[in-house]
Amino acid sequence: MTELPVAGRAHVRRAAVRLIRDDGGAVALMVLFNALAAIAGLAGPWLLGRIIDTVTAGPAPVGVVDRLALAVLLCTVVQIVLARTALAVGYRFGERTAARVRERFLDRALALPASVVERVPAGDLAARGTCDVGTVAATLRDAIPEVLIAAVQALFVLVAVFLLDPLLGAVALLGLAAIPPVTRWYLRRARTAYLEEGAAGSVLADELASTIAGTRTVEALGLRERRTAVADEAIDRARHTRLRTLALRSVLFPAVDVSYVVPVVGVLLVGGALYIDGLLSLGAVAACALYLRQLVVPLDAILVWLEQLQSSGASFARVEGLAAIPPAVVTERSAPADDRIEIRGVRYAYEGDRDVLRGVDLTVRPGERLALVGPSGAGKSTLGRLLTGVDRPRAGSLTVGGVEISRLPPGLLRRQVVLVTQEHHVFRDAVRDNLTLAAPDATDDDLISALAVVGADWAMDLPDGLDTRLGGDGVVLDGAQAQQLALARVVLADPHTVVLDEATALLDPTTARDAERALAAVLHDRTVIAIAHRLQTAHDADRVAVMDGGRLVELGTHDDLVAAGGTYAHLWRTWHG
Amino acid sequence: MVQGVTEAGLPVADVRGPLPYLWWLIRRQKGRIATGALIGSLWMVGLTLPPYLLAQAIDQGLQRRDPAALAAWAAALFAVGAVNALLAILRHRTMTKIRLDGGFRTVRAVIAHATRLGAALPRRIGAGEIVTIGIADVWVLAQALTVTGPGLGAVIAYVVVAVLLLKISPLLAVVVLAGVPVLAVVVGPMLGRLQRAGARYRERQGALADRLVDIIGGLRVLNGLGGKDGYARRYRRDSQAVAEVGYRVGAVTSWIQALGVGLPAIFLAVVIWLAARMAAQGDITVGELVAVWGYAAVLVVPVAFFIEGGFDVSRALVAGRRVVDFLRLPVDPPPRGQGPDGPAVLRDPDSGVVVIPGRLVALATARPADAAAVVDRLGRYGPTAVTWGGRRLDGLAVRDRILVADNEAYLFTGALGEVVAGRSEPDDEAVARALAAAAACDIVDGLPDGTASVIDTQGRNLSGGQRQRVRLARALYADPEILLAVEPTSAVDANTEAAIAERLPAARAGRATLVATTSPAMLDRADIVHYIVGGRLAATGTHRALLDTEPGYRALVTRAAGEAALPEAARR
Repeated sequence: MTELPVAGRAHVRRAAVRLIRDDGGAVALMVLFNALAAIAGLAGPWLLGRIIDTVTAGPAPVGVVDRLALAVLLCTVVQIVLARTALAVGYRFGERTAARVRERFLDRALALPASVVERVPAGDLAARGTCDVGTVAATLRDAIPEVLIAAVQALFVLVAVFLLDPLLGAVALLGLAAIPPVTRWYLRRARTAYLEEGAAGSVLADELASTIAGTRTVEALGLRERRTAVADEAIDRARHTRLRTLALRSVLFPAVDVSYVVPVVGVLLVGGALYIDGLLSLGAVAACALYLRQLVVPLDAILVWLEQLQSSGASFARVEGLAAIPPAVVTERSAPADDRIEIRGVRYAYEGDRDVLRGVDLTVRPGERLALVGPSGAGKSTLGRLLTGVDRPRAGSLTVGGVEISRLPPGLLRRQVVLVTQEHHVFRDAVRDNLTLAAPDATDDDLISALAVVGADWAMDLPDGLDTRLGGDGVVLDGAQAQQLALARVVLADPHTVVLDEATALLDPTTARDAERALAAVLHDRTVIAIAHRLQTAHDADRVAVMDGGRLVELGTHDDLVAAGGTYAHLWRTWHG
Repeated sequence: MVQGVTEAGLPVADVRGPLPYLWWLIRRQKGRIATGALIGSLWMVGLTLPPYLLAQAIDQGLQRRDPAALAAWAAALFAVGAVNALLAILRHRTMTKIRLDGGFRTVRAVIAHATRLGAALPRRIGAGEIVTIGIADVWVLAQALTVTGPGLGAVIAYVVVAVLLLKISPLLAVVVLAGVPVLAVVVGPMLGRLQRAGARYRERQGALADRLVDIIGGLRVLNGLGGKDGYARRYRRDSQAVAEVGYRVGAVTSWIQALGVGLPAIFLAVVIWLAARMAAQGDITVGELVAVWGYAAVLVVPVAFFIEGGFDVSRALVAGRRVVDFLRLPVDPPPRGQGPDGPAVLRDPDSGVVVIPGRLVALATARPADAAAVVDRLGRYGPTAVTWGGRRLDGLAVRDRILVADNEAYLFTGALGEVVAGRSEPDDEAVARALAAAAACDIVDGLPDGTASVIDTQGRNLSGGQRQRVRLARALYADPEILLAVEPTSAVDANTEAAIAERLPAARAGRATLVATTSPAMLDRADIVHYIVGGRLAATGTHRALLDTEPGYRALVTRAAGEAALPEAARR
């Protein structure tokens, strides 16, 4: 198993900028409405300053105060409407961008080379597609619009103070000077801490999911206490990582909170001195102090979202990680000349490990039934994956009709060789969709006959026929039925060579016999390479290839090999009893 | 489940409803909640002080042109700000710990209840639903606990502001004190709308996530057989549909959020108007005017907490309903009856199958469902008429003595040694013995750290045959008095199957074992073979005897052995 990559900082930044640029109009509109809303919001303290100046100037006419106060009220209403519009535009931007992120994720997942799909943990890919994409989407929908609003507000508050008095503006800025370094300190550590928090959460979710999926086993083996202990351990780890991020916040929050007070105090003292010297009105000092107190709201909003931005930055890095996987190299454009499969000096090793295949030579004759037998770990399944282009040999070549199999484009490859394993997926979709993926142009009659061929009689009795939904709330297929569905797909895909890796192992003897017989009938003019654990498959094959320790040790008909008295003959006798 | 009663000394959650459950979560951490409420209150009250101090700085310092007074009030303002910063972080720390405690406590309760339900669980509820409960709903519930801290603090802050306002002007005090609750009442119902719109959106979003998981699960199929374009197209269509719903939710949400902030601001503007008129008429000072602005602005904080708290609690009630409904799923009372004192015969009257102490019994049938039904009855899963030493099995506690080992048995992640040892602490020698008996030593050799290597959930880093042998080794390690194994060698190659057939009788010597199988190698080693047709015992005897006397059995077994060739049509 290899881990999926996580995108680096530079890549994440570029991808984020691209997301914003892709919807630049909406972002510009959002900023504009926000700016207008912020201006309307700033009118309040300014008007209050005017009221104070009016009142301190001596006995004030109530009419003047009324007009100023009415203006405060109007500004507030305007601010509400503008803020709402800005939010609505922001939500639409977020929603659209979230859709783009998840759709792009799916496209990338679909483009993953088969060799990667084989090796990465399915849970990781699914977690990125659901949890991480969900976190990013939530951030885009909620955090980005609100952070933008807050940033614009904060900016305008500072601009307003500068306009009232540049010196007080400078004092205010100076007072806030502690925030950037503290925030940088926090951000540098937060990324790792939140990644760890997320990882611990995944482990806990996995333990929870397994305990629930395995309750029957828990009961049978009396594992209750053990599972509880394991869950407690996962909980402890999750708690630990969460306390770690809390510790980081415990530095950031107070530092920032104190920083909010500094500019207010500074402006009072400096502004007070200016007022006493007659350089500034009392109203201006009061308005500045009130503005700076207003700064708390937008800065706090940014601070609150910083955490989510952090965790979603980590999520986004995981989502974007898929982009780092190079796509499958498809260099071959010419179609294979014929159906002949040639294996020459093939060696294969899983990453950094010793060779699993150590020089295999074999010519598969078109139309023959070839059985691959040998003990576990002999390299049978590995050879099967190489034959179907999932993996590429370290050395040597596997060709079909003179063309390297692993370099064939998928569309061409699946008309040549198809691998059928025990693992088969039933999509939560209609029966029809589950089948037409292998043959988009197939008619209903084609589908029904393909199902009939593999002995899937149950399919005829489904409530809504081919439209019956499978999985989830629909009809749930058992292992044998799922296997028949998988075989029907192969019948529809109609390749000239089929590699069966224990394809009928889950079927009961009667059904397996029917399915094999049916497959044999369908595949009678195809090449069938059967990786066999059951020796009767070998017995029925045209030729038997015996593998051991990554090499081909015997090759011939069943009778010849039994007569030769080698590995196969010994195996046959032991097993046959 | 009985409310508030302890089971094995553990406090049991109050699951009468979401609210009692929340209350239970609160009672579990009384001390911390009290601390949180105290700090939250102090913090909230602390928030009301700066406007007062600012007003004093303006009135005493600025207006009187008194630098010393200005400096003193400004210093006080800074000191209060610093103390508030400290209180704020203490509050956040306490509330975070309260949420963690509540969340993890519920996770624990969910896991505990799932294990209590045991084999009955899949019949009662979908696995996906519980995982959702355990991952998402618990935190929605925990979030609602936040309301405990600032909740009380908000009330106190409200009262403090009232007192301060009263000192300035009774009229202003009345307007502010009446206005804020009116605000809360106005904003409250809007949240309901938000939640309903959000629920529909989340549902669509969940369905979309399910589709993505489905497609990712089927990537191998799509890689091998094609059809990616169709799935990508349909996913895009669904994704756009979710975005459409999202737009509608956003249109509503944006109003609610803007009004949530805006209505208090309008209220504030009205209060300022009143205060400004009073200041103009000389009823209050300029400093007091600034203070009123500050107080009313500060009051927004507790009101916002009420609103947010209301939102959290209403969401928690929905999530809590699901949690509570799950925790209320009744657990089948464990049978109290004791089995026979020593080894005894297990007899299934429905099929006629008997499992005999000290013997290896094989069950051969063409239909695995028949074998599974027999084993389920013998293992007391579901209704059963089986007797054990003459006693009805359905009233007896059997789990410690009878073990059903099938291929669906779950493999939990952990070191191989621990996986094999199951509930016991792994004993190296016994683990090695069990692995050897299951012909699984090559698995150990192939792993980087031997028996200390970690096996993924469901043995995903093992092959099908390896998984099967690990399951068998685990069952052998458990060494139950009666082992009922279903097709234990169906996924292993002929070599390995022969080895297992060789070693199993020795590993189970002196114990009762039943193996459902059609493998000739395995059947040949059994002391007795039961041949089942149509769910009933058709013949009993040794493998060799049945081969001679039962043509059906012969056809079944030799098919597996490959002796009888497939029909000509199947061969080319």
